[in-house]
Amino acid sequence: MTTRRTARPATTPSPPVKGRRTGFLTPPWWFVAPALLVYAAVVLYPSLSGVMYAFTDWSGIGGKSFNGLANFRALFHDERAVGALKNTLLLTVAIVVVQNGIGLLLALGVHARIRSRTVLRVIFFAPAVVSPVMVAFLWKYVYNPDPHAGLNGLLGAIGLGGLRQDWLGDPSLAVWSVAGMVVWQYAGYSMVIFLAGLEGVPADLHEAAMIDGAGRFQRFRYITWPLLAPALTINVMLSTIGGLKLFDQVYAATGGGPGYASETLSTVLYKQAFVYGKFGYSTAIALVLALFVAAVSLLQIAYLRGREVQA
Amino acid sequence: MTSRFEPDRRGFLRAAGGLAAVAAMPAALVACGGSSGAGGGGSKTLRLVGVSDQQKALDELTKLYTQAKFTTSYAPTDQVETSLRTQLGAGNAPDVHVVYPGNGSAMSMAQIAQAGLLADLSSQSWTQLIPANFKSAFQVQGKTLIYSAGSSVIGAIYNKKVFQKAGVQPPKTWTELLDVCAKLKKAGVVPIALGAQTAWITQLITYALVPSTVYAKNPQFDSQMQAGSASFAQSGWRDAFTMYLDLQKRGFFNDNPNGTTFEQQTSMVATGKAAMAVQVSAVLPDFRKAASSPDDLGMFPFPGADSADGVWIPAGVVVGLGVSARSRNADAAKAFIEFLGKQENINRWAAAVACIPLHRDASSTIDPVLEPFLPFIEGNKAVPFMDQAWPNAEVQPTHFAVVQELLAGKTTIDKGLAKMDQVYRKKS
Repeated sequence: MTTRRTARPATTPSPPVKGRRTGFLTPPWWFVAPALLVYAAVVLYPSLSGVMYAFTDWSGIGGKSFNGLANFRALFHDERAVGALKNTLLLTVAIVVVQNGIGLLLALGVHARIRSRTVLRVIFFAPAVVSPVMVAFLWKYVYNPDPHAGLNGLLGAIGLGGLRQDWLGDPSLAVWSVAGMVVWQYAGYSMVIFLAGLEGVPADLHEAAMIDGAGRFQRFRYITWPLLAPALTINVMLSTIGGLKLFDQVYAATGGGPGYASETLSTVLYKQAFVYGKFGYSTAIALVLALFVAAVSLLQIAYLRGREVQA
Repeated sequence: MTSRFEPDRRGFLRAAGGLAAVAAMPAALVACGGSSGAGGGGSKTLRLVGVSDQQKALDELTKLYTQAKFTTSYAPTDQVETSLRTQLGAGNAPDVHVVYPGNGSAMSMAQIAQAGLLADLSSQSWTQLIPANFKSAFQVQGKTLIYSAGSSVIGAIYNKKVFQKAGVQPPKTWTELLDVCAKLKKAGVVPIALGAQTAWITQLITYALVPSTVYAKNPQFDSQMQAGSASFAQSGWRDAFTMYLDLQKRGFFNDNPNGTTFEQQTSMVATGKAAMAVQVSAVLPDFRKAASSPDDLGMFPFPGADSADGVWIPAGVVVGLGVSARSRNADAAKAFIEFLGKQENINRWAAAVACIPLHRDASSTIDPVLEPFLPFIEGNKAVPFMDQAWPNAEVQPTHFAVVQELLAGKTTIDKGLAKMDQVYRKKS
């Protein structure tokens, strides 16, 4: 069996139909205009208009003066923002690795020919459709520090009482506890994308490999895994972007605390704007965050697409 | 330098304000939206946005007021802060809206007044009732910009049955407090419930102690801080933090206070798992709701000094209302505030939020559990909540974070006070 390296996604190109113009099924470009107009009015215009506030000292309700690059200089000397950046990166790496790892295992599990697979797919995907704030409130109960409640109670009941923790109240644990709830919520989402990828793996490749004597692991390593590359690209991209702009779960579960232990860039920029009344500085953080997310996403897509293969 | 892109900014803000209002709408509709006053003959409809704590009082008072109709919405402080500040910036603020007294938070009177967005209420007769020591909470440069019905106090809400069972009485001094806590601990209950995961709870013990450790010794502390001749680090704030941590070291708090919420704290005291919680009197209704009988609960001044004479208490003006300076219905909105300023309505509001009325007459009633605090207020041994005199909105959240870090052992008192001083000196 061989695989062909390509820089394009693993879609099977449809051969041109003889006697029919290939452009027939291509919609005219202006079909996109209504959506683009709405997007420009609702997203692009407000976002771009907001950029100029990053260069002002605006409080959100009063007058303002341009202060050049002062907000950006302050940002790079702000130990809270630097701490929040560190937390954001840690959370993102943890979420990308664990969420996609679990998502892949779940996908492989429910892709097998087991009777309950449809029910299991629904159950695993269900948390992804719940509001992140509701998930955070739910997990505050799970993370109750009481030794007889929630996760601590469960650990005690199965003889692992020594592992009980103050999940959200211990500064060295809070960030990882938040990562846990995000992974719980979105592992099913990754699973669905991997499942779509698995459905696209041709059965005949597996049959040929089995005839050649390949074992289960070898077939995964040399057939399934390379052909899942497009799904992996999407999953890694989405979870990276989600991790870098994580706000709801952190704000609802810990508010960025204890102290500043679980602050992310998003919670810091929210507080700067709405709690401290520093909209100019907050916009500067938002701008840096947006550029950072864009840069990371572009680098990721360039790398991941380069390793995609077609069957 | 001022901006040249005013028209664009206004357009952008209007859109943002509208979006914020739309975003806030579902919560308001589900939780606490409404309209009232429909039975009256008033032709104006006033838009009123308040915080949840104000809903009970305003539900009653907007129904009684017949000169206008109301569309109201109430939400927790942080949600209101987000949507209301956006609307204030966009120029479409509600006619009447929540304002926090004094300074020190993004929705405080002084911060909003800096942008000229609050109407002057000075000509109203009730403003003559404002006690001299509360004027800074109501006024900026001599103009009254906020209405509030009175003051609440911070002290210890305690479970009388638990105290009785342990054979202890409310303490009058710090030493007595330590003794009472030791006896309660020995009796197998948590002496002081602390829900420090809810950020605003973290400040209450410091606020309860600082009047005795700072203001009883130096009543000019706030003006000295403003002049730059005093600091947190070189004041009784250090003693207050030391005493706070002493309570923790002696094991008088519940385990894991940083992982415990306000709701859990409330439940612990109400059900007798804990003996007391240092709290603001405005949350008494929450504690009573959680208790099997409201009479199980009492309140006493939390003593921060070794002699009863040296004990002072915090008594802050409760969250109030302001009139938007840009309101098209400013006259009708001011007339409603004038109505709220009548003595009987001050009494109604005070009863609804368990606070001490701004001014008292024969018809005023005070929640009996607040009576132990009256001698302090009448004896000028009460000081406003500290944040109401802080110059920017960043000091208070820094105080929250410092306390959480101290409880977690992640910082020292020196570093915490230095951080608060640094933030205090920032320009707003």
